[in-house]
Amino acid sequence: MIDPHFTVSEDGLMTPEGTFSPGSPPAGIRRVPKGVDSLGTEHLIVNMGPQHPSTHGVLRLIVELDGEEVVAVEVSIGFLHRGIEKLAESRRFDQLATLMDRGDYVSAIHGEQAAALAVEKLMGIEIPTKAAWIRTLTAELNRLASHIVWFGTFGLDTGAMGQFLYAMRDREALLDILEEISGQRMMFNYVRPGGVLADLPAGIDRKILAFCDTFEVYLEEHHALLGCNEIFQSRVKNIGIVTKETALAFGLTGANLRATGIAFDVRRDRPYDAYPALEFDIPVGTVGDAWDRYMVRMEEMRQSVRMVRQLVAGMPEGEHMAKVPKVLRPPAGEVYASVESSRGETGIHLFTDGGATPYRYRYRGASFFTCQLFEEVLPGHLFADACMLLGSFDIMLGEVDR
Amino acid sequence: MALDRFTGENSIAFIRSEQLFDYARSNSLWYLAFGSACCAIEGLMHASGPRFDFDRMGVFFRASPRQADVMIVAGTVNLKLAETVRTLYDQMPEPKWVIAMGACANTGGPFREYPNVVLGADKIVPVDVYVPGCPPRPESIQYAFLELQKKIRKRTEERLAARRGSGK
Amino acid sequence: MQPDVAAVNRALAGLQAAIDVVEAPIGVVLRCAQKDASAVLKHLRDGELDCCMLIDLFGLDTGEKVEITYHLRSLSRDEDMYVRCGVDYDGNMHSVWNIYPSALLPEREAAEMFGLTLSGHPNPKRLLTTDGVPPLLRKAVPVRSAEEVRSG
Repeated sequence: MIDPHFTVSEDGLMTPEGTFSPGSPPAGIRRVPKGVDSLGTEHLIVNMGPQHPSTHGVLRLIVELDGEEVVAVEVSIGFLHRGIEKLAESRRFDQLATLMDRGDYVSAIHGEQAAALAVEKLMGIEIPTKAAWIRTLTAELNRLASHIVWFGTFGLDTGAMGQFLYAMRDREALLDILEEISGQRMMFNYVRPGGVLADLPAGIDRKILAFCDTFEVYLEEHHALLGCNEIFQSRVKNIGIVTKETALAFGLTGANLRATGIAFDVRRDRPYDAYPALEFDIPVGTVGDAWDRYMVRMEEMRQSVRMVRQLVAGMPEGEHMAKVPKVLRPPAGEVYASVESSRGETGIHLFTDGGATPYRYRYRGASFFTCQLFEEVLPGHLFADACMLLGSFDIMLGEVDR
Repeated sequence: MALDRFTGENSIAFIRSEQLFDYARSNSLWYLAFGSACCAIEGLMHASGPRFDFDRMGVFFRASPRQADVMIVAGTVNLKLAETVRTLYDQMPEPKWVIAMGACANTGGPFREYPNVVLGADKIVPVDVYVPGCPPRPESIQYAFLELQKKIRKRTEERLAARRGSGK
Repeated sequence: MQPDVAAVNRALAGLQAAIDVVEAPIGVVLRCAQKDASAVLKHLRDGELDCCMLIDLFGLDTGEKVEITYHLRSLSRDEDMYVRCGVDYDGNMHSVWNIYPSALLPEREAAEMFGLTLSGHPNPKRLLTTDGVPPLLRKAVPVRSAEEVRSG
């Protein structure tokens, strides 16, 4: 809104009406650019660079600010582009798990599961029931671990530093369990085409159930300390609203999509592994703001605990790996397999030519499609909200840049 | 003799100021919060977490490179990130050290065959301590800090010895 | 989960483009020319097939040309389908972002990784790599050899 007491000349210079009108402006003042308000302020372009405590990974945002309000955002990625898709063309099919581990590194099991499902679908391998149940168990444990990281860092983004340490305490307990199952804390390399690497160790079910008991209590504590905090709620409610149409138009999947009100979950709608045998609810939001995304993920954690209990109680007997050849040679063809990872739909589009390595390996990372939403959702919010929104969408740059 | 013990080389009452400063530096190594990849979760997040507490060693993260002593290159460095890593290193004030964490920062790691990946952080910045692993456990990165502390103290002694040797 | 080929043909009747509908093991694949892709996708989105989401967009180097695949999904009909177009090496790809905004970044990536030019896009810059890097997903561009890694 241009102040009526100023006149704007054709080349953008503003001069006040009345008796005082300066001649040419001092040499240091540049011409006032377009998009300027009556105060004569310019838009400032700020680099939220790859090194930033709030961008979850090496994400670069070029933000145009009008004071504190974000006017435009450009997303610049590629700082973690390591060539998972290209390197997969020179890896054997059972080695793809090592690459997928390092894609979405916080929920590594889901990536490995997607790769294994793609190969099994192509080769028509039926995995033993026990293998399917073990895979689902580790996947749900990994979903819990990933949502805990999201919870801790989301708290950090809004300024709540204490929650991060409590979240790390719970994640350490989970990583102990996963380390005992797979041998590694983060890059599990556990799920292979045909099943899993090794059977569950003895006594792990007691440990998992003990973890579930304590975690259910801690989860309510986390919610009471962060979610029920009035300051957090006022920072998060009605901020970053994503409508259903926007979500579909930008290819959003996972908790981000469910928070807008669309109930699509790959575990229920395109089931795989042991999910058809499990009872679980799909939490769905209404408004699509950051609060809905928070509540959806918290509820997903509760549902994951519920599923873990069912999986431990009903774990069948059997083999942990189907009879697959040492060197897998799927027939020439293409296949698409997707899993519900903690970030959304992680899909693998696999093209084979009959050899021992893939011909083309397309890794559809859920966060890749989420991060292009920033250019649409962030403008109109305050800069501080922009930092919080980056955390609420839960992206992982390994999946974005691949 | 007794006076020598008091004021001489390994004095119990006096300490050279450089020794004091280096002692202080090595016990408060603040690292730059710059996590590029998976190693960041293990080495920066978990190592500062409640189990593998970094704070007891005086190690704490700082968001700005101007306030940091150590840069932990945690993750793969590729051609696009190399410029950022170098800029951050140049922005850190002296004395500064670099820890290359994980296989990717040491020599390129599991992604070394990809043309876009730089074969190690030491092609970009001078590295003081290399930590192997993919990812290294948080205890490894804490061991790396202990090694860095030893290195800082050894440098002090070398500097003093050199000065003593050339002074006389 | 897979649409019926007859239903797809019916839904596409009336379009002036040459479209080949094939039922492959992966599902229904529509082949058309890249210049017709916008029209086909618009028809699939607005017509009875109700493809509300573009799940993925990627390229494939067949050895003779680059094939761009659009992976579409209809939530109301619970169906997935694929639209495939061929682009010559160093050819041009017209953007479909005004039909599906989720194509914004994948198109930039496909154009960069396969060495195509991108037209009709609001920001057709390089996405993942810096200037001077060759189109890395082309089969002709190799990964580093063992000697290069050892000595490099």
